[in-house]
Formats: sequence, C-alpha cells, structure tokens
Amino acid sequence: MRFGFLIKTAWHYVRRSYRSTMVLGLMVFAAVGCLVFLSALAVGTNDAMIRNSVGLFSGHIAGVSLPSGTTPERLMVDGTAGVLIRNEAVANIGQPGGTRTETVRIIGVAPLEEKKLTALWKKTLAGRYLEPGQPEIYLSRPLAQNLRVSVGDGLQIKLESWPTATLFTVSGLYQTGVSQLDYGLAFCPAQVLPESGAAVSAAIFLKEGIAAEPVIKIYQQRFDSAHFLPWRKFMPDLKQLIDLNYVSMTIVMILVFGVVSLGIACAFVIFILKSMREFGILKAIGMRSSEIVMLIVLQVIMLTLTASLAGTAAGAGAVAWLSGTGIDLSSLTSHNPYFVVSGVIFPRLTPFSACLPAVMAVFFGALAAIWPSIFVIRKSAADILRSI
Amino acid sequence: MIEAFDVCKSFRSGRGQVAALDHVSITIMKGRLFVVAGRSGSGKTTLLNCIGTLEKPETGRISCAGIDITHLSRRAAAKFRRKQTGFVFQSANLVSYLTVRENIALPLELNAWSNDARNRRVDALLDTVCLRGMGAAMPQELSGGETQRVAFARAIAHQPAILLADEPTASLDSATGRQLIQLMQALVRESACTLIAATHDPDLIAAASETLYLKDGRKVGQL
Repeated sequence: MRFGFLIKTAWHYVRRSYRSTMVLGLMVFAAVGCLVFLSALAVGTNDAMIRNSVGLFSGHIAGVSLPSGTTPERLMVDGTAGVLIRNEAVANIGQPGGTRTETVRIIGVAPLEEKKLTALWKKTLAGRYLEPGQPEIYLSRPLAQNLRVSVGDGLQIKLESWPTATLFTVSGLYQTGVSQLDYGLAFCPAQVLPESGAAVSAAIFLKEGIAAEPVIKIYQQRFDSAHFLPWRKFMPDLKQLIDLNYVSMTIVMILVFGVVSLGIACAFVIFILKSMREFGILKAIGMRSSEIVMLIVLQVIMLTLTASLAGTAAGAGAVAWLSGTGIDLSSLTSHNPYFVVSGVIFPRLTPFSACLPAVMAVFFGALAAIWPSIFVIRKSAADILRSI
Repeated sequence: MIEAFDVCKSFRSGRGQVAALDHVSITIMKGRLFVVAGRSGSGKTTLLNCIGTLEKPETGRISCAGIDITHLSRRAAAKFRRKQTGFVFQSANLVSYLTVRENIALPLELNAWSNDARNRRVDALLDTVCLRGMGAAMPQELSGGETQRVAFARAIAHQPAILLADEPTASLDSATGRQLIQLMQALVRESACTLIAATHDPDLIAAASETLYLKDGRKVGQL
C-alpha cells in the first residue's frame, strides 16, 4: 500500500473541498472547544468546592491524638503548604451571673497562623477575629444568640480540668453556614487555654495537586499513636458530591457529544458520499478497495484531527484565560456550604478533560466513515459510476 | 489479443430483468482501434466494463493475451486494471479535488513510478495533449475538450495495453471531438495499445480499424 500517496491524496481532498471542510471543521471545532471548556469548568467547580471546604478550617488532612507538644515543624513534609496545631477542651460557658449556659468544645488556635491558612476569620459578622495572647473568645452567631451575648461582652468559661471559671471577652461573631462549625464550637487563642496535657490535633494543608495518602503514610511512620484522615474521610458528603459531579459530567459529555456526533457523523457521510464518483474513478483505474477505505478513513481523520486539535487549543486557550481571573459565580453559590469562602471558579484542564472530546470526535468521525467504506467495498466501480 | 466468447450480462430494472449483453463473442487484435457502436442501451458500456473487469459477465469468457480475466479475484482485477488498462469515461472523468497534473499522475502513483520518471512522463503527456502550462489548473477550470484530453492523458500515462473509451467524444463539439480522435489514432499508431471505444459518433466510427454493432445487447454486425 502506497501510504504516502494516500495521505497526500486525502490531504488534497480535505484542503480543496473548501466549503465542506470549513463547515464540517467548524462543527467539530466548536463541539470540541465547548466540551473542553465545559469539562474544565466542571473540574474547576470541584476544585472550588474542595478548596472552600478544606480552606475554611479543617485542612486537607486532619491529624488527631497527636502527642502534646507537637510542633507544626514536625508535621511539615514535602507537599505540605502549612500546618496548624490546635488543642481543645470541653467547657461550660455562660454570662457571669447569668442562668444560660452551653456546653461547647473550645478550640485553642494560633490566630496569626490561622489567618494565613484558613478562611474562618473572613466569615466574621461582627467584631473581629482573635488576637494572640488575649483572653478572648470567638463565637458563632447562633451560639451567641443562645447565650444572649454580643461583641465585647464577658463570658465565663469553666473547664472540667480547671478549678475555677475564667472570664473571656467576646471578640467577634461568625457564621459559616456549615453546621459543624456554627454549633457547639468556640475558639480562643491557644496560649490562654490552659495546658491540659491532653492530645492535640492538627490541620494540615497540602500544596496544589498533592495527594493526601502519601503524606499520611509519612505521618503514620512518625506518629504511632496518632490518626490522620484525608478530607475524603472526614467530609464524605463532599467526596460523594464530587464523585457525583464527575459521573454526571461524564454522562452529560457523552450525551452531548453523542447528539453532536450524530450530526457530525451525518455530515461526514455526506462529505464522503459527495465524492463517490471519484471513488468509482479511482477504483476503475486500479485502486484496491482496501486503499480506498484507507483513503476515506484518512480524509475523515485528517479533518477531525485538525479541527479537534484547533478546538482543543481554543478550549484550552479560554481555560487559560479564565484560570487567571476565574469566573465569579458568587450570586449562585452564596447559600451553598461548599462555597462558603468564595464563589469564584477557576477552570482547570486535566489530561482527561483535554483529550476526551478530541478522541471522541475522531472516534465518531471514523465511525461515520464505515458506511461509505462498506458501500465502496461492496459495489463494483461500474455500479458506483452508474449510480451517481 | 482480446477475445470475448458468448458473454451474457443482464440487469434488474423497473422493467424486470434486462439483457445488456446477449451471447456476444468478439476478437480484437492487438494495436487496433476497435469501435463498439450502437444506440443508447445497446450494451456498449457493459461490454467495455466487462473487458475492463469493472464488472463480471454472468456467463461466457473474456481473455486478454491468453489470460482469462472473467474469474479474476477483486484484488487481481484491480491489479489488471492498474497495469493493463486505461479508461476514458463519457463525462466527469477527472478527480475533482486533484489538479490536472495530479490527475494525470494518478496511474503512475498507483504503479509506483519514481518521482523523476513520473514528472517527466506527465510533462510529456501535457505536451502531447497540448495542455502545457495547465498542470496546476483544477478540473472545474477546464473546458469539455480540455477535460477529455486530460482524461485521455491519464488513461495512457502508464502505457497500458488496452485503452477503453466510453463515448469519449459525446460531450464535445465536433472540432474538439475530431482532435481527440486524432490523438487516439496517433496513440494506436505509435504504440501497441489496443483502443476499444464505445460510441455512436460517425467520425470515430469512420476512424476505426474495426466496428462492432450492438442492438439490445446482441451483436448485429461487424465491419
């Protein structure tokens, strides 16, 4: 088989069938470009949900039952962006002399470091976030309403391990919309929370694109008694939602591309059939059926591949352009707990989302070449020339 | 020498089974201009197609230089056409997306001629058909006569033993038709090519070495 000759002839056909090539190429280009962008948007939406959820407070990995005195430096390994050590105690809190009390978990935090790595302080509704070393408490608005306190009021805190109650000032009120953070929790600087000698916990933040599991493996070798959980384990609802997003995105892509491909396939059939007389002539002058089939397939692949690559480049270009500024969908996410920090979505291309639309276009294009190829194989040159 | 013996071929149509060739036998000597004449539907094209292995007769036998070509496999038939035959059709002869030069070079590409030999041959053929300087033109830019001359050049490019021409002058005015006939006569004179043409053009019939007359698929005369 003279492959070079077939490639040259197929290229001449694609290049010189100006209108058909333009129309068909534009269809494939638009379909592939849009799907590349849509899939990047879906990946970006998932990224935003993860970023929002872990960035609010918990981190990508939660370390629990760490020995007292564990420093952030001991947990900094390759791939970690930051570590926050927190200690906690159960306490009864209420207004001095008041009758209303609540039993809450008080988390002792390092305010300056927390502000660098988490976004809880951005959810402040009144007052301000904590300051290091101050006997202050940072409460959720629902808890403050239950205790009937506001910013600047004093709150008595009585820990089980403490002989007497201590007076704290309410520094600020927050609300996240996430029930685990809005109920039963309060925060104070770690320095003012008395050392109980109990185990501490850690919120570990990973760099972009780093998987949690290899990091957890390192920690498990360092800390026998501690437990480390990736965000997928302690936020199963988010994991499910992201899995659901991926499945639904794939289904939508297949359905959308299936419908688009049907149109593309029909157009390809016309694109090929319009040259049926030429195939008859080629057959008459001695081209074998296998060579003609190869010619048809090459024509289709050349067109779809060129248009798909251009479409992928255009889609990737749009993603690159918007990945810098992001798409602000805050008005659509303001009441969504998975977008508590920011509703800005940064589309991101993965190898899967970049390649799948082009691969599908070429696949469906080649599929469309089957019927005309069978027609050419089964009919004699005389039949083809007579029927056109 | 081409021999067809008792060849039959029929087609199914709205009028039922129609006999296109009905027990036709002929012998064509090498290097002759052989014309198959007859009205439309007389079976001229079908006979040419059968000789050129474009279709198979239902019964009978056709041989070319002693080789039975009626029972060739598809692959062998393609090889026979590629090496031994050239075709000129009545109209729309050329591959529309290839230039004049690329059209003429097609059989040479299929027969794996080298680049140099191919270019030399195409240049010579463009001269022969008086189309030098038209190599880069697309088929749609050519007149009817030019198109047929390019088709003729393509058909003889690989120096086939048999040239089959189906009503080659039908779509041409008489002057252009005569030019093409002269080209065909020159080809037969200068090479050992056997030219078989289906036609009802009196000029071409007059130029023929031998003429077979068909009517309703039957041989009704041979001069």
